[in-house]
Amino acid sequence: MNDFYAELARLHAPLLLLGAPLIGAAIAAAIPQARMSWLGALLACAIALALAVDLAARGLLSGAPIASAHEALALSPDGVGMFAAPILTGALALALLAGGGLLDEIGPRKAPWAWALSLAVCAGWIGALFAGDLIGVFIAAEIAWLASVGLAALSRGSERGALSGALRMLTAGGFSAALMLLGIGLIGRAVGSVVLDEIGALPIAAPHLATLGVALVTTALAVKAGVAPLHFWSAAAYGRSGRFALFVAVVGLVGALMTLTRIVSIATAAPDLGEGVSSLLAILGAASVLIGSVQAVGAVNLHRLAAYAAASHAGSILLSLALGSPAGLAAALVQTFALAVALLALFGGASVAREPALSALDGLARRAPLASMAITAGALSFMGAPLTVGFLGRWRLIEASIGAGWWWAAGAALVSSLAAVFYGGRLIERVFFRRATTAVDVDRNPWRLAITPVLVIAIIAIGLGFEPSVLLRAATDAAALQLGRAP
Amino acid sequence: MSPVVLQTLGLGVCTALLVAGGASALMSASVTKRLLGVLIAIVAALLALAALGAAQAATIAGVAVAFAYCVIGVALLVRLQESYGGSDTAEIDAADAQSEPAEPSA
Repeated sequence: MNDFYAELARLHAPLLLLGAPLIGAAIAAAIPQARMSWLGALLACAIALALAVDLAARGLLSGAPIASAHEALALSPDGVGMFAAPILTGALALALLAGGGLLDEIGPRKAPWAWALSLAVCAGWIGALFAGDLIGVFIAAEIAWLASVGLAALSRGSERGALSGALRMLTAGGFSAALMLLGIGLIGRAVGSVVLDEIGALPIAAPHLATLGVALVTTALAVKAGVAPLHFWSAAAYGRSGRFALFVAVVGLVGALMTLTRIVSIATAAPDLGEGVSSLLAILGAASVLIGSVQAVGAVNLHRLAAYAAASHAGSILLSLALGSPAGLAAALVQTFALAVALLALFGGASVAREPALSALDGLARRAPLASMAITAGALSFMGAPLTVGFLGRWRLIEASIGAGWWWAAGAALVSSLAAVFYGGRLIERVFFRRATTAVDVDRNPWRLAITPVLVIAIIAIGLGFEPSVLLRAATDAAALQLGRAP
Repeated sequence: MSPVVLQTLGLGVCTALLVAGGASALMSASVTKRLLGVLIAIVAALLALAALGAAQAATIAGVAVAFAYCVIGVALLVRLQESYGGSDTAEIDAADAQSEPAEPSA
């Protein structure tokens, strides 16, 4: 009997992956008691995580073909979707766990809405990764984005700074929604279809129109991913949001990057579109690496530093995608995973410091050694230090770039790492080699230990550089499945 | 005028409207104007979809998203008015900057 239900769940895994967080969001919002609502949200996320890991294990690591029932929602899990779903649900699970210790900041009255919106963010991006056509991607991405805006607005209880951050997110998201709609219209006109499987397969009547359409959709997703110079919202939103919203922002960032990866990988596989899309990605990627690195070096607010560092890292991901090869796609997937765990580690450590100013990190090693280790691990991963997962991603990019003759892309990756040595090194120096200069407000709340799993798991994930075989294999298999050929 | 020329002209007008709406959304001095800019940009995109003969599903999705942005935007506008006592973006940024050190711009 259990096997029957397990097989049924596997057959409908994409739909359940979408449904579990959405139903969990509704339940979490309906429960007025903050802790009970939190438990309900955690349960829904745990179910989604189990489904996502099972789907990835079957579809990627064991190589079994994924048979899914015909779903009225036209869901089609591909390589990128199966790789991304466990990362999204895992990051959300850690965010929700940490949220249990941040209830004072959110406020018990708003907490059920915060849990519900975070589940909606995850569901939205999973929907965008599994949608079978561009309209589905559009709707799902906007659901996720608007949920993120709502979460940013209420994440700091009564503090008003979060509202202006949310406003920036809203205006940026609205502009990107308009771009994406126009792009979808152009692609539909040029190709005759907006179904993703058909974009690469059908003959393209107007290649330039289709390229412009893909460029607009890519730009729209790049805005949502905080890619520089389109990241005008991210620093303000990160800098003024509450700590729980920052954890969920990692889910949003990974979702946007993975959706962009998915769209781009389909477009670059089409012969008439590949060159134009590749050029756009190369320009955007190089610009993002440079601008993000410069801004991160000068940042004095840890949350904003993370936004700029994420922009720099996203630039490296775009450069990997610009290569248009399975090796480049695999490198992009590994780098996205590395970005997620590095940000979780940084935000986890910063949440213990309780203030986003860099000066709040002074002497953190003496009063919070685990948080200090997490910040150090995150900084080392951003630097691309050997034996960290960040190094793996950078190395894969450099390898793929040199293999394609793109020496300048390898140089950009090195520039990004060098800049990270500056700003990451500053963090480590403050944490370990300075004394606290202001009075420290010690948190005595026992629920603060709920942040511990985030720190521990982020440190372990960054240490995957010691034994990366599973991650590398999953990324390689996902890339091969996505592009229909092996690296 | 041939239908193709008309369609191209229509598309050009919609694109210009989208750019204008986007510029307003990102650079206006007032929160209300920024929200209006967002709506104008999305409506321009919907008009472009109509000019391109896009599927009805895309248009319906766009209308739903525009409505959602409108609702959330108005809610944000009201909360900003209550919290800051005004909707001028420069004043809001100045009030926020007092609690944060200055950041370098690219």
